[in-house]
Amino acid sequence: MLAIAPINPATAQKATQSRSSISIPFEKYTLPNGLTVVLAEEHSTPTVAVAVMYHVGSKNEVPGHTGFAHMFEHVMFTGSGHVPYGMHDKFTEGVGGGNNGGTQFDWTTYYETDPSNYLETLLWLESDRMGFLLDSLDEAKFKAQRDIVKNERRQSYDNQPYRRDGEVLGIAMYPQGHPYSWPTIGSMGDLSAATVEDVKQFFRLYYAPNNATLSIVGDLNTAQTKAWIAKYFGGIPRGKAITRPKVAPSGLATEKRLTFEDRVQIPRLHIQWPTVSLQSSDQYALNVLGDILTGSRIARLTKALVYDQQLATSVSAGQSSSEGVGTFDLVATPRPGHTLTELEDAADSIVAILKRDGPTEDEIKRAKAGLELSFLDGLQSNFNKAFQLAQDQTFFNDPSHSFSVDYPKTQAVTAADVKRVANRYLGKARIVLSDVPLGKTELAARSAKSTVVTDPFTEKSTPETRP
Amino acid sequence: MTRSSIYSLAALLALGTVPAIAQTATFDRRVVPTPGKRPDLHIPAWTTTTLSNGAKLVVSVRHSLPLVSFQLNFIGGVNQYDPAGKNGVGSFVASMLSEGTTHRTGDQISNELQLLGTSISTSIGAESGRMQFESTKDKFAPTLAIVADLVENPTFPQAALDRVRSRTIVSLTQAKDRTSGIAAVVFPKVVYTTNHPYGRTTTETSVNAITRDDLVAFHKAYFEPAHAVITVVGDVNPDEVKSAIENAFGGWKAGGSMPSFDYPAVAAPKSTAIYLVDKPGAAQSTFTLGGPGPARSTPDYYALRVMNEMLGVLFQSRLNHNIREVKGYSYGVSSSFGFGRGPGSFRAGGEIVTAKTDSALIEFMKELKDIRGPRPPSDEEMAQAKASLVQSLPEVFESVNGVNGGISSIYTQGLPEDYYQQFIKAVNAVTKDDVVRVAQKYIDPDHLALVIVGDREKIEAPLIATKIAPVIRLDINGDPIVDKIRP
Repeated sequence: MLAIAPINPATAQKATQSRSSISIPFEKYTLPNGLTVVLAEEHSTPTVAVAVMYHVGSKNEVPGHTGFAHMFEHVMFTGSGHVPYGMHDKFTEGVGGGNNGGTQFDWTTYYETDPSNYLETLLWLESDRMGFLLDSLDEAKFKAQRDIVKNERRQSYDNQPYRRDGEVLGIAMYPQGHPYSWPTIGSMGDLSAATVEDVKQFFRLYYAPNNATLSIVGDLNTAQTKAWIAKYFGGIPRGKAITRPKVAPSGLATEKRLTFEDRVQIPRLHIQWPTVSLQSSDQYALNVLGDILTGSRIARLTKALVYDQQLATSVSAGQSSSEGVGTFDLVATPRPGHTLTELEDAADSIVAILKRDGPTEDEIKRAKAGLELSFLDGLQSNFNKAFQLAQDQTFFNDPSHSFSVDYPKTQAVTAADVKRVANRYLGKARIVLSDVPLGKTELAARSAKSTVVTDPFTEKSTPETRP
Repeated sequence: MTRSSIYSLAALLALGTVPAIAQTATFDRRVVPTPGKRPDLHIPAWTTTTLSNGAKLVVSVRHSLPLVSFQLNFIGGVNQYDPAGKNGVGSFVASMLSEGTTHRTGDQISNELQLLGTSISTSIGAESGRMQFESTKDKFAPTLAIVADLVENPTFPQAALDRVRSRTIVSLTQAKDRTSGIAAVVFPKVVYTTNHPYGRTTTETSVNAITRDDLVAFHKAYFEPAHAVITVVGDVNPDEVKSAIENAFGGWKAGGSMPSFDYPAVAAPKSTAIYLVDKPGAAQSTFTLGGPGPARSTPDYYALRVMNEMLGVLFQSRLNHNIREVKGYSYGVSSSFGFGRGPGSFRAGGEIVTAKTDSALIEFMKELKDIRGPRPPSDEEMAQAKASLVQSLPEVFESVNGVNGGISSIYTQGLPEDYYQQFIKAVNAVTKDDVVRVAQKYIDPDHLALVIVGDREKIEAPLIATKIAPVIRLDINGDPIVDKIRP
């Protein structure tokens, strides 16, 4: 039976005080085998969130084996040495919680949320696949997951309008073989060629405690939790030191103009500039720049293209930062009767004015005004907090990086900073990609100067000539 | 592997630190840890009162962070208020409240909200609508003043209407690029027909018919206090919230009435047929298989929720386990009941790899038949389905917006105030027999609309060969292609 205890608003009011500082109190330590642990006790909701972040992603793959890190993530849900298939779901969704995994260029993360009395069970599940995944892996399990991942590629990329633009841009932005030049989902050809032996090798290389962070947030008892972590994870042997891929900058020096034919009816313009990674302080001013350009209806590009000139039905711009590289992207959809060339010219002239004059103080103030709310909002979720602590530890060896560095550095961005990064990064070295309906390459921006490319990652397509 | 004696946790804790022995201790990893005592399930409490203009005010206090979630909810939606033949008026009104008022231009509204660090979103759905924002505690009152202005004084400029219309037509066109976007229009048209409000969707024709007068008339009829419920959750004091709202909404006078939810009857479902829509080159086929369902008020609601968890909600539900995990035909499939005031819907489906369209349909039909008796629920399925519905409630109430959604939906759906307590009891009371009974009653394999959008050249012949049902071809708007066969 369940105990149902409504909270009396009057007593709740007295019992707790509003918290005004933006932070997550946490405790961090490292096991002898190298596993980094971050714990944050927080009793406002009777749940716990567990995140295990492995510092391996698609950038650790090699050409010919793209999509592997993500496919491996699927294999991690097929059971392990002492945990039969299905237990991860039985002890999460089946008791009122949830689970999932995620893979990006830089990391792979596994997470669960559960009623807090299941914390030990979650540690049992996660430790077994960290230590004993290969004990139960066979060809049949692997092939089933490979088929599912190919379906994921079809559903999320091949069958989605405009979605393959990112794949075409990755090839054009980076030199051949660059770790950020292929998509995390991988190419259909490589997925079909992957073998169980690849899985084993990948696991031995990257799925070791010294390459992982375990982050737990919620209704937990810290001492008890530490004892369980020691029991379940302590005996897993340390792996070899990890060789991190060397990440060169994009190296793009001039403008590339590309046309991609897609199963769409309305063309779309995507301009991408190479910028900076998460390691650079310029990312903060670039984030603010994105907001000044398209963050609201009075943002410069939105106001000009969508409201005043009415050339576009939508426009968005912003910085994306990974551990090794970053880009600034501008995407615009034309209003019927207008062309991608018009959009490009209008956007360029707005950006040129911003580069010449810089933003106003009001624009800087508006761009930063929502920051406090967005950080506070994120503090409500045990899962968000577990994920944030794990990611900050993985990238910066500091679980509080978002709060202690990102937040104050964003608040400190000035109009001069934004003007400087706009001039430094939004220059001639860029890719102008026109996504156009099949057979309508003449709809590309300045189509005479644009090279038609295909997406080599799609099923059955033949490798293109490099632009 | 040796089986260890009981792990002495108390001894470890007494040491204050984690001893080295813990890392070398051996134990039997096959033993599933026993869960601790189940934590108490807290349902947030709230107070209700009535404002001087007749709107209801609901406040739930939560002081953990200096945040406030606000919703102005309206009972009734576009099904009750959109004029005939003009689907889209309600959604146009929702997106145009921020285009300007008699006190503020659209640009001024945008500027003020951005400086307050928040945004107001307005949506008007099938049977309810809402304006909402989340703010820090100190920005609550000034944001409230803007909400009141948008409710009371919007001007609906003609130029803005033309811009919103153009944007909407582009979105409708882009939706037709996706097989799932096509299915979302075709399925309701097949199941309910355009004689029923559920079968009508927003189209380029309906959007082109909308005039500024339509927006003004909709706004006048809809934004009335008599069917409004304001819900506020967060770091507030109920009395202060009431006076802040009375103060901000001083110009919003009593008026309006509760809508009635009278729907025409849905025509009896036709014999099972495959409604095939061609999308040349599609990498996958979108399946939407189902038909009309019961209203939210059905006494079978709880049994249906439990049944549907094990059929197509949980990752290891029958449909997903079989079609994704075992057969590998999809990245994920599911089933759902759409519960509303009028007749609802049942749908099962997902995105299926083109080459396995026929095989997947065979498996869907097998699972839909099996849950009706041939394969009754197991103890394990019952336990997991119930726990997933009941024990997940704390996560619903984790944030101020979550609590607000949980509370406001009670009022917009006309449910009792002790709904969550009733929900817990009623879900736990569902039996295996109930599950089989409601599956038999609401999933009828002989009367299903099997809507499949995909590459016809590759999937039509294999679908015919399954002999599951005749194939009827429709265009991307859901209209028949061969005119002598009408769905």
